[in-house]
Amino acid sequence: MNSQANTLGKRRQRSTNIAAFVFLLPVFLILTIFIFYPIVDSFMISAYRWNGIAAEKVFVGLSNWGKLLSDREFWFAFRNNILIMVLSIVIQIPIGLAEATFIEFAGKKATVCKVLWFIPMLMSSVAIGFLFNYALAANGGMVSAVSKLFGGGNVDLLGNKNTALITVILVIAWQFIPFYMVYCMAAYTNVSEDVYEASLIDGATKGQYFWQIALPLLTPSIKSAAILSMVGSLKYFDLIYVMTGGGPGTATELMATYMYKNAFVQFNMGYGSAVAAGMFILITVLSLFTMRMINGKKEEA
Amino acid sequence: MEKEFKNSNIKSRISWAFAIFLAVVATMAAVLPFIFMVFNSFKGKFEMLTKGVFAPPEKLNLTNYEEVLGGGFVKYFGNSVFVLCVSLLLVLFISACAAYPLARFKFRMNGFIYAVIVACMAIPIHITLIPVFQMTKSLKIYDTIWAMIGPNVAFALPISVFILTSFMMGIPKEIEESAEIDGCNKYRMFFTMILPLAKPGLSTLAIYNGVNIWNEFSFAYTLTQSPKNRTLPLAVWDFQGQYSMNTPMIMAVLTLTVLPMIILFIFAQDKLVKGMTAGAVKG
Amino acid sequence: MKKRAKQIIALGLSVVMCLSATACGSGAADAPQGSGESGQASADSSAGSADAAETPAADSSSDSGDKVITFWNVGTEGADKETYEMAIRQFQEKTQSGYTIENIPTQNDKYKEKLVIAMSSGECPDMYTTWSGGPMNEYIDSGYAQPLDDLYEKYGMKERFMEGALEQASYNGKIYAVPVKNISIAGIYYNKDLFQKCGVSVPTTVSELEAACDTFLANGIIPFTLANGPKWTGSMYFQCLAARKGGLEPFQKAASGDGSFEDESFVYAGQKIQEWVNKGYFPEGFNSMSEDDGQAKAFFYTEEAAMYLTGSWNTAAFKTDSEDAGNDFYSKVDWFSFPAVDDSSADASILCGTMGDQFVSFNCTDEKLDAAFEFATYLSSDETIDYMVGASLIPPVTGVEDKITDPVSKSIIDAANKASAVQLWYDQYLNPTVANAHLDGNQEVFGLTMTPEDANKKMQEAQAEYLSGK
Repeated sequence: MNSQANTLGKRRQRSTNIAAFVFLLPVFLILTIFIFYPIVDSFMISAYRWNGIAAEKVFVGLSNWGKLLSDREFWFAFRNNILIMVLSIVIQIPIGLAEATFIEFAGKKATVCKVLWFIPMLMSSVAIGFLFNYALAANGGMVSAVSKLFGGGNVDLLGNKNTALITVILVIAWQFIPFYMVYCMAAYTNVSEDVYEASLIDGATKGQYFWQIALPLLTPSIKSAAILSMVGSLKYFDLIYVMTGGGPGTATELMATYMYKNAFVQFNMGYGSAVAAGMFILITVLSLFTMRMINGKKEEA
Repeated sequence: MEKEFKNSNIKSRISWAFAIFLAVVATMAAVLPFIFMVFNSFKGKFEMLTKGVFAPPEKLNLTNYEEVLGGGFVKYFGNSVFVLCVSLLLVLFISACAAYPLARFKFRMNGFIYAVIVACMAIPIHITLIPVFQMTKSLKIYDTIWAMIGPNVAFALPISVFILTSFMMGIPKEIEESAEIDGCNKYRMFFTMILPLAKPGLSTLAIYNGVNIWNEFSFAYTLTQSPKNRTLPLAVWDFQGQYSMNTPMIMAVLTLTVLPMIILFIFAQDKLVKGMTAGAVKG
Repeated sequence: MKKRAKQIIALGLSVVMCLSATACGSGAADAPQGSGESGQASADSSAGSADAAETPAADSSSDSGDKVITFWNVGTEGADKETYEMAIRQFQEKTQSGYTIENIPTQNDKYKEKLVIAMSSGECPDMYTTWSGGPMNEYIDSGYAQPLDDLYEKYGMKERFMEGALEQASYNGKIYAVPVKNISIAGIYYNKDLFQKCGVSVPTTVSELEAACDTFLANGIIPFTLANGPKWTGSMYFQCLAARKGGLEPFQKAASGDGSFEDESFVYAGQKIQEWVNKGYFPEGFNSMSEDDGQAKAFFYTEEAAMYLTGSWNTAAFKTDSEDAGNDFYSKVDWFSFPAVDDSSADASILCGTMGDQFVSFNCTDEKLDAAFEFATYLSSDETIDYMVGASLIPPVTGVEDKITDPVSKSIIDAANKASAVQLWYDQYLNPTVANAHLDGNQEVFGLTMTPEDANKKMQEAQAEYLSGK
């Protein structure tokens, strides 16, 4: 009896394993071609001094990696990335969640909001960069206009070393809040209608419902949203490239823009690859570590 | 008792008023840049530079749009639609396939594979340009619209699998268990139960990936060269020279680019709501 | 049911794609390794460059055996695009070679990256444009350009171009490129109306310039419009000031390693810039404004700013923008060369810029190279030149001054003809890493967040590191 159950269990596990293999096969083939291979490639190139175009590469071993470890500009860029990461998580997810909650509570009436709030996500980085460059211009920009309204002078947010990064972070937030809104809206569907109705019957206010019932149920989704935001901010490129190009000076330089400059503009493909590979290691370690921490807590609870 | 109820009613009214105020602010913040984009698309270049970007256009000047539509725009548009449809279909199906075992099966490598896929999200896109270019060349699909489909799919996959897996984890276990007792195997279960239940997650992904693929730029310019194979994000090139750009014209291009997405979203969000309620009822 | 069918199709497609991609992916994987080994073998890279020059070109021409010459450039719009298309039409009509030109315009921002990607895979186009200087030399060293002296001789093109233009198309004593398009030099456009209103005449020395600026400020006019977001715009001030202070020598010495970027003329340039920023000569917030979006032009067009130090390619933009708007703004514009530094012995006729803006390089051999060069001659045929002059461009060909009637272009060509030498833009002459150090540092100098001495020191460090690695 016992052994029979055992073999049945084994057989079942085997069929599960086969099913898992079949379902995961396509994704693995594609990732191997487009992601694993380029990563291995960039690790290999990072061992050469190479301008990126010549037939000859000079093997330099780990010297690019040594340079990377002591490269102040790279670590400064990393620091900027971390700042973007923290502020993105703190700004984007709560606002996205608030918007989704508003839509959830307001029901059909809020359809207009849903469409309008989503618009920033649909605009391309070129358009966003252009419009915000003008909106933030010290002379004739919107921020300056508001400041003048209250008796202040012109404000130059992007040209100032101390405010450029935070300004760009706000623009990035503007672009990505709609994504977290839609994400949280989808997460709300896992909180079933019955729970909502039951809680209202019990006399809970909407505020109580949100804090005590919905939020705990949404927590897993919020955690994955945080991971997404984290990975996204650590490899961010687009708007920074369009809006500031890393300036003023190197105040808004990011790992990705730094890598790009080295590899494609300054003919340092070898070092650029080392930066890319370093980025890859940093992001992977950071995100897996965070995931481990988050999930560990979940298991305890 | 009565008093308390009233109290909470007033409180809830105040908080609603406050929420609506915030909603109006959010709406303005989200929409104003869009409106200015449309405004500027009607202006002449000199008008924009001298009157400022935030002044309303002097007149509803459609010449920018006429010129844009008279150029290669229609061709780019068709290419974009094709690339979007094929890529999106593949992304959604493949990521659903991958998320299913990761979210619902117990097997030894599960955690490891999940970690690998998360690590794949960490790759900086630009470092893949050269290997992907070489691959595309050797596949003989360089400078065709097929070239963009592979990278579009590949770079949408990790994040899609990640989102879908966490979404599928939220689907109640009982559904599967009862189906298993009925003798339903894993493959049939995927198509008949999991896919329909994952609809809200899939529509989120469709929107997210759809927008990204529609605006995808890096691979489009690396993997194509002739104008006839370009997609919409490259359309601005026709109005952007070495030292200057015709900004109003570019705004017209960008408005035309974003318009189909907005229309699509208006319809899709309707579907999204339906998908959600369907999920909720069954759940 | 329909949905099921779709899914099956999708699955089928994905499998086919994966299989075909893996098959070829493994082939591609070998390529970089192979080239890496060959790199190790040839220890002396500079000596190897001459031999290397033959191989990639031969590869790609055997690759595309058909008679199509691919031509990459940045002529995506306006007069640039028309110039290239016009030359192609002429070539196609007249050539006996049997070749056709495939024109591939790419937007400027991404052009260099596209070239790097193609070259790194040995897929360099047959013809492509560069801005000469550091990157062009890099392409030549890597074997993606052919020397053209014989073809210049054969087609009698040497006399066609201004000397300065050919000089910039040369490397190690050989001509590697054909100059096209525009004489692009830094100079000051100014609003004649505003000068008259404020009783200011064209300054010939820096102290006169400063006096003029002070007058403008007193009248509520911005002396200079500037959008330093892209950094190269502010770099022009630095280059002009340094050249007027010390001539070409300090830069050439610093670039070759015999001198230093900490030389006094560079310190002078940085200090003057900060002095001018402190006096308020530039519009508020200039350090982050975008040049491409026309934020600098806006101040000039609204006549809020009196002067605009920029490249001479802007003549065409001023003219067409003014014409499109149907006003007389363009008639108020004129141009003068950067004034001399008081009591400096440096030659004040020296200009900063390029004598051609674009340079066409060739990556093909034999018959194809000949046909490609023949095509390039049409880029400066009389017909093409006439068109360019009409579009307010100044092609770097001899005798062009006789064709020019536009007063602004005339001022520019006069200065160009008088110039004893041309200092190529720093960001094109220098190695790109050094150029970047210069651009970043100079933007901070403009922002008053770095002293000129520190910025120059950084630039010198970058240059020293580059020279030591060479």
